Amino acid sequence: MDEGRSRLRIFMVLIVFILGILMLRLGKLQILERSSHTGQSVNNAVREWRVQPPRGRFYDRDGVLMVDNEPRFTLFVTPRYFKEETIPLLATLLGAPDSLLSVRYQKAAKNPFHRAPIQVDVSFEELSRVLEQRHNLPGIDYEITQKRTYLTDARMTHAMGYVREISESALEAHRDEGYVWGDPFGQGGLERQYESEVRGVPGSDFKMINIKGQVVAEYLDGREDRAARNGLDLNLTIDSGLQAFAESLFVNKRGGVIALDPRNGEVLAMHSAPDYDLELFTHRLDPQVWDSIRTHKDRPLFNRVTQSQFMPGSTYKPLIALLALAVGEIDGAYEFYCGGGHPLGGGRIYKCLDSHGSINVVEAIKYSCNTFFFEMMRRIDVNTLHRLATTMGFGQRPYLDIATNEVAVGNIPDSTYYNTLFPRGWTQGNVMNLGVGQGEGEVTLIQLARYMAAIANGGTLVTPHLVRNMVDPETGAQAVPEMPDPVRLELNQTYLQLLREGMRRVVAEQSWWLDIPGVPSIGKTGSAQNTRGDEDDSVFIMAAPADNPEIAIAVFVENAGFGSGAAGRIGSFMVERYLTGRVDLSGDRGWIWTQMFNLNSEILPDRNEVRGPAG
Amino acid sequence: MRKRYTNLDPVTLLTWIALVVVGLSAIYSATHGPSSEFYQFNPRQNFGNQITWLGICLAGMAVALLLPVRFFQQMAFPVYGGTLLLLVAALLFGREVNGAKSWLYIGPMSLQVSELAKVGTVLAVAQVVGMRRPKTMDLRFAFILVGIIMLPASLIILQNDTGTALVFFGLVPIVLFWSGLDLNLLLLMIAPAVAGYFAIVSMPTAILFVVLFVGFMWWRTRDRRISMVSALMTGGVVALANVAITMVLSDYQVQRILSFTDPGAEQFRQNVGFHQVNSMAAIGSGGWFGKGFLQGTQTQGGYVFEQSTDFVFSVIGEEWGFLGSVVVLFLFAVLLIRLLQLGANMKHPFGVLIAAGASGIYLVHIFINIGMATSLLPVIGIPLPFISYGGSALLANSALLAIVLSLHLRRDDFSIYGY
Repeated sequence: MDEGRSRLRIFMVLIVFILGILMLRLGKLQILERSSHTGQSVNNAVREWRVQPPRGRFYDRDGVLMVDNEPRFTLFVTPRYFKEETIPLLATLLGAPDSLLSVRYQKAAKNPFHRAPIQVDVSFEELSRVLEQRHNLPGIDYEITQKRTYLTDARMTHAMGYVREISESALEAHRDEGYVWGDPFGQGGLERQYESEVRGVPGSDFKMINIKGQVVAEYLDGREDRAARNGLDLNLTIDSGLQAFAESLFVNKRGGVIALDPRNGEVLAMHSAPDYDLELFTHRLDPQVWDSIRTHKDRPLFNRVTQSQFMPGSTYKPLIALLALAVGEIDGAYEFYCGGGHPLGGGRIYKCLDSHGSINVVEAIKYSCNTFFFEMMRRIDVNTLHRLATTMGFGQRPYLDIATNEVAVGNIPDSTYYNTLFPRGWTQGNVMNLGVGQGEGEVTLIQLARYMAAIANGGTLVTPHLVRNMVDPETGAQAVPEMPDPVRLELNQTYLQLLREGMRRVVAEQSWWLDIPGVPSIGKTGSAQNTRGDEDDSVFIMAAPADNPEIAIAVFVENAGFGSGAAGRIGSFMVERYLTGRVDLSGDRGWIWTQMFNLNSEILPDRNEVRGPAG
Repeated sequence: MRKRYTNLDPVTLLTWIALVVVGLSAIYSATHGPSSEFYQFNPRQNFGNQITWLGICLAGMAVALLLPVRFFQQMAFPVYGGTLLLLVAALLFGREVNGAKSWLYIGPMSLQVSELAKVGTVLAVAQVVGMRRPKTMDLRFAFILVGIIMLPASLIILQNDTGTALVFFGLVPIVLFWSGLDLNLLLLMIAPAVAGYFAIVSMPTAILFVVLFVGFMWWRTRDRRISMVSALMTGGVVALANVAITMVLSDYQVQRILSFTDPGAEQFRQNVGFHQVNSMAAIGSGGWFGKGFLQGTQTQGGYVFEQSTDFVFSVIGEEWGFLGSVVVLFLFAVLLIRLLQLGANMKHPFGVLIAAGASGIYLVHIFINIGMATSLLPVIGIPLPFISYGGSALLANSALLAIVLSLHLRRDDFSIYGY
């Protein structure tokens, strides 16, 4: 119409135009750039709390709870929102020194938006006090983590392993499995071996935080949260009573013991002495304490069950006897004359402990006659021995379901080995020491225990393992860990019977104090020379009951002399404890018991080089 | 009488109610959400205060609806004078809030007098235009109008409340437009401001704008002089802005001006750009449908500065999404256009100017406020009409609305001498 009308129209267009610009702008932000702004807002205001599920619990073979979890709280500070002047208040609530918190805060403040722990191991009471004051403590929040608790007297230090925050290298290697900084990670032993099973699945808890870093509400009423799934519980084959008993016997001794069920390879107890308290690792570990453990000359971190390699000594003699029988060099009636040493070398190089006279294989085992076994070895090719010993598991990496990379292999020499050792040639005289378990061979405790079990059970090489099955605590579903099948050796039962008869007489007659009242058993003592020139290592293997064995044991005590001493007694009492549930100390056994505690490992000379895993 | 009140314009009233409800819900969310226990007492009472102010507004509006046309015309200058006095009083006795000395405390009430000055100014301008003989629009008259507007504006600048003063500057072309100033002159006035904005945001756009604008003026007028002037004014502003940014202004000032163009940039995000980064994060993360009432993570976390007042739109954008934002824009569009229509219906310059002035003032507020919240413009602290918390603003904006409604109700009472 007129000027006024057109101005009205112009202004209306202007209104629509300007509001249209705003609408386009909103469309750009809310539709086109939505994801980047969502990311920004989530970064700001939504924080994911990792919910650590309780690690799987460990039960012993009788269902006794050995390892459990208890909650522990860690306080975090986000320096950007924290007020430094609240440190004294926080310190008072936590009962911690100002200076300590101050130092931690200063360290965290280098990265102002990163939450950093300011106090770990906070008790529930302390946490409650802090939460009451949370209005005054912006930038402080907490997380629940799980701490291992050990409920029985059995420490089982080396087999158990412990749990620490995941290391940088482990994180790199296992990032694909969903690990993040601060996650717990099994270190050694069962905790490491079964890490992926006992770990469970961490959950996520999304919470809204305000600009001061305080949690204000559940994010989306918890719809995005993922519940944590508990780790699998492990039913161990360990007898916690026997385990604790074993640990109590190694007073002032270095060494190890492993007890198996010869029927199925279940590990009933395993202990390496000296050990250390796993409880130390459930707290923040003082570096000095750690250093003292790490550098102690008795090497408590060294697992003598899996890592020690030593000469088998006379415990090797049944193997030599079996070999001689098997290759047809002798039979049960064969006798050889012992005049206190082997004729080769005029009786002075290859000496016996006694003059045994004419002696058959059973008696030779019973008396541990060196002469007899020197003669056996003189007649047997070293490669033949190598073959049988290897078949019996010696020189082979034994399976054991604790961090297998630490398991030592031992060494069973063959002709190639001697060709290298004696480049100018060698004779049978050089290898005769093998007949009495001295010289070049090295074995481990696990190998000895399997060997003992195989003799006892009629020739089955069992697979030692510590976990019977794994149970999902929520569903009750069970799973059995995968492991190699036991190996059935085709051994002549008649020959095995000869071996067992000899070994029965060892316990019943020769070293009668090792005989368990009321329980017939078989065993063999050994004292292994060592290359260090110290006192011999005391070695003992045993199985019982003789006719239907339920336990096979291998014991080794460093520098403690004869096998019938420290190692024999420890083994005998453990077997008694396991089979009868008690230790009968009436009569001579009481004296033996007391004496056992006086038998010490010779104190190591104070020198820097100590015996390494490869011996 | 009863029959006459049925003539009360329902569209205006309903959109006003809708906007106030949107505002109350946004303020509620920002102050009484799940996280409100972490707030200090001060922001939490905003919601209650706003309800109180709404009561005062309703009473004031009812009174305004009872008053005759002549009252508003006669009271225009006294009200204008009164608001000027109040501005001076605030300058002398006022209390400083957020660096601006524009608050007067009367008992328990705090008044932001610069808000009330808008009403007085619109009334005064409308009265001047209304008294004018027809067809006497010239530059001298324009200067009088500009003077009426600039007087309170300069007092407000003295109060250090640049944002509110900017609204008065925005009022100038609107008033001149409605009082019949030549459109070419108006364009010449507005174009340099637009050119200056582009010069800050993007130099190539600014140059393109100058070229297009000069071409447009040439096409419109075929007048070489006007084209020259337009080229000089817009190009001059662009050049000046460039010189100012690169040479004259200090780094800090430049940062403040430039920060809105990219508030998330490394050098801004921790200081001047912080609020806009968070506001954009809130609005942008709302997406199509928003996160729902009381569900906005940014809002509930208190990440956006002044989220119940100047940045209230971030609450709406986050919790109600694009859809909710567009609904609000649509309500504003309906209200603003409806006001213009009411003004046109009055067929009297006083009524036209009041209605157009109100509509224009709202428009400036809306553009600056939402533009700021979406980082289209730098941070300028002015409220979103009817939605932001703030009693004085709600009162002033509602008063303007009530005056328009009242005048429209009695549009037949206008004496005919004005037109």
